[in-house]
Amino acid sequence: MNRLRAWFLAPSWTVVITLFLAPLAIILGYSFLTRGVYGGITAPWTPDSYQRLIDPIYLAILWRSFWIAGVSTALCLLLGFPLALFISRSGARKNIYLALVMLPFWTSFLVRTYAWMFLLRETGLVNTILQKLGLIHSPLPLLYNEGAVILGLVYGYLPFTVLPLYATLERLDRSLLEAAADLGAKPWATLTRVTIPLSAPGIRAGAILVFIPCLGAYLTPDLLGGGKSVMIGNLIQNQFTTARDWPFGAAVSLVLMAIVMVLLFTIARGEGESLL
Amino acid sequence: MNRRHFLFGALASAGFAGCSRDQRPRLNVLNWSAYIAPETVPKFEAEFGARVRYGTYEDNEEMLARVMGGNSGWDIVFPTSYIVKPLLANDLLAPIHRELLPNLVQLEPRFQRPNWDPDLHWSVPYMVTAAGIAYNRKLSPPPQAWADLWDPRLRGRLTMLDDPFDTMGACLKKLGFSVNATDPAQLDRARAEAIRQKPLLRAYLNAEARDQLVSGDILVAHMWNTTAQQAMDSSPTVGFVYPAEGYAVYPDATVILRESKHQELAHRFINFLLRPDIAAANALTARTTTTNAGARKILPPAFRDNPTLYPAPDIVARGEWAITLDPATQRLRDRLWTEIKAA
Amino acid sequence: MKRARGAGLAVYAAAAFLFLHLPLLILAIFSFNASRFTIWQGFSLHWYSAALHDTELTDAAWNSLIIAAVATLASTVIGTLCAYGLWKRTSRPLAGSLYLSLVTPEIVTGISLLAFYQWIFRFLRVQLGMHTVILAHVSFSIAYVVIVVIARLRTVDPTLEEAALDLGANEWQAFRYVTLPAILPGVIAAALLAFTVSFDDYVITSLVAGVDSETLPMVIYAIARRGVNPIVNAISALIVLGFGSLVLISERLRSA
Repeated sequence: MNRLRAWFLAPSWTVVITLFLAPLAIILGYSFLTRGVYGGITAPWTPDSYQRLIDPIYLAILWRSFWIAGVSTALCLLLGFPLALFISRSGARKNIYLALVMLPFWTSFLVRTYAWMFLLRETGLVNTILQKLGLIHSPLPLLYNEGAVILGLVYGYLPFTVLPLYATLERLDRSLLEAAADLGAKPWATLTRVTIPLSAPGIRAGAILVFIPCLGAYLTPDLLGGGKSVMIGNLIQNQFTTARDWPFGAAVSLVLMAIVMVLLFTIARGEGESLL
Repeated sequence: MNRRHFLFGALASAGFAGCSRDQRPRLNVLNWSAYIAPETVPKFEAEFGARVRYGTYEDNEEMLARVMGGNSGWDIVFPTSYIVKPLLANDLLAPIHRELLPNLVQLEPRFQRPNWDPDLHWSVPYMVTAAGIAYNRKLSPPPQAWADLWDPRLRGRLTMLDDPFDTMGACLKKLGFSVNATDPAQLDRARAEAIRQKPLLRAYLNAEARDQLVSGDILVAHMWNTTAQQAMDSSPTVGFVYPAEGYAVYPDATVILRESKHQELAHRFINFLLRPDIAAANALTARTTTTNAGARKILPPAFRDNPTLYPAPDIVARGEWAITLDPATQRLRDRLWTEIKAA
Repeated sequence: MKRARGAGLAVYAAAAFLFLHLPLLILAIFSFNASRFTIWQGFSLHWYSAALHDTELTDAAWNSLIIAAVATLASTVIGTLCAYGLWKRTSRPLAGSLYLSLVTPEIVTGISLLAFYQWIFRFLRVQLGMHTVILAHVSFSIAYVVIVVIARLRTVDPTLEEAALDLGANEWQAFRYVTLPAILPGVIAAALLAFTVSFDDYVITSLVAGVDSETLPMVIYAIARRGVNPIVNAISALIVLGFGSLVLISERLRSA
């Protein structure tokens, strides 16, 4: 058995080592080098890039990214939970509803972000309708701000909370809920005291699946933020292109990775095993 | 079983289809988007029996990211003048052989010996752009100077360019300094100005601002003259002005990358671009100012006398050519730009 | 009380589905708008015609398809084998690495691969191109395939394989003739997921693509950056239609 298993795992190991771990190691190396005169990398080795990071301006960017990611995750969980609850109770039509939830996911993320660009502009549909209805007199600045970024992120990642929540809710032991009702609990109390705590694994899985990509988001703040809300993803991209400061960009990337790993270990310690 | 065979067959035939190769010599040209006349490449292909792969980019940084490694596969790119030196410093350029470019004489005198490459040893000027203020003519009084872009009445209806050199340049000019300033004190004051302006801004946008100006989403935009001209072509409500304090001018140049395996063909392409009729067609399509004197003579009068693209001499005198900054200043400016964007 | 709550939940679900689908529907509707702007000015197929005649777009779409097809094939095979191996006995380092690759922000994956390629290119005379993109796509798709196939494997009864072994089959035959057919629907689902993820990718692809390998998302992004353009609406509608049909077909195949 072990021989076959070794053969089966070898291709994955090869890909993971050469195309994932080795590149990360190279980036680690870059973060300790110095920026070349007009870009690129040269010696000497120095922890300079990391020291530059301890600066209010970059900490502010980090904080803003946490804030946006956190709000987006919370919204995704809040909006996704009732939907997952509904689907888990819908009996035979479960698969149709699940397919409906996943359908936007099958379309391009870029397209879904662009859809909001289209809708939220001053001359876009939302403003046009509101004005036609007489609710507002001049267009609202809906695009190019943090709110638009959060909306774009929530829209893009909502399916990522619905699925794990649904998976957990579906496996919930109904008899527990009946027991709570028998003991005199009102439906709302059952929800908050029994259902939600029991769906903690699903909540954790969903939170991780949304929070981390949102933290490193690049496209959404780029297209919907109007260049005004810089998140870590934009900072990294900026260092590798406009600023041509690879060592600093590498340092920021690794700090981001470190944060991600800390989050994984603390929150999702069991989830990785259950997923894989 | 049948499904698998079909899938396999489909993939195999797709693979074979991609394998059939064209025997003509290939040239890979990477240029700014909407910066060439549609007939230019087909004409070149027909006349020289070559095949051209033509790619585009939106800004210098995108182009740099692609060619920095030295093995991108591109033969010709079109950097803005102040990017030529960094490309050279990173050993990415192939020398220009003037004897292969008989059409060089067509260039205007001021571009025969440009400040970034006086002997034209590494680059050949292509076209020129400048940054100014585009606005909706309904605005009264219309903006005349950079200082007008700090007017609180414009709140939420104003955009600035998402480009560190341009936006800091505008702030520097507003303060009366050079766009190429290196003094940290001056740069810091420019940063402060930009941050002061930020609450008024709708967004930092480049070409995206064009449609918004035309549709009325915004009233004033910091814009390159070519983009502004495109906006004015779509709508008579848009106007353009070169600010009173002065403005930055960006000639761009054609360069051959050292990695290119078709340097002779590349020279022929550049020579082709220098032909007056070709250069004129390119300038007309891209709505830009040409560096080619021969082309300028044959441009239609309405275009040649266009004040946005071919302004009067006193306005031209106010323009300041952007130059390559030394690495320390560049690093400081990058940091200040990050501060502005993150504020 | 229960009835009312059930109804409330249903109303909420309807609103949620509307939220998820309305933007795309509107995008599609306006792809038929004769005018560039949000004022409806008549039905027109002009933008579709423009999209289909734009060689940059069609070339990019073709590239995307080829890249996705090859990457999907590779990652599905490698991922399925990996899932099976992990199902037999888990390997914490491998599972951990795969999970990490799943949650690593795309920008970090992208720049690390770019740095890796630049470094390798000093020794091999290769350039950025279709192959670099395909390898990158295989790298990030494997984790998706493994997750889906392992989920399916968990529904398979392990004693079936044991029975096959008792009857004289070797391990490869047990896998090939007993387990593989049982998980085939899961493998197909995984392939579909890998295809979608690959076709849709922008961030990583844009960093490692070369001269010949411009993909559809890259072109869409370039157009979108220049402003709202109904051509993007048309392409989006085509993409949604394309993938919708793909999902439908795969569902039919699965239940067939």
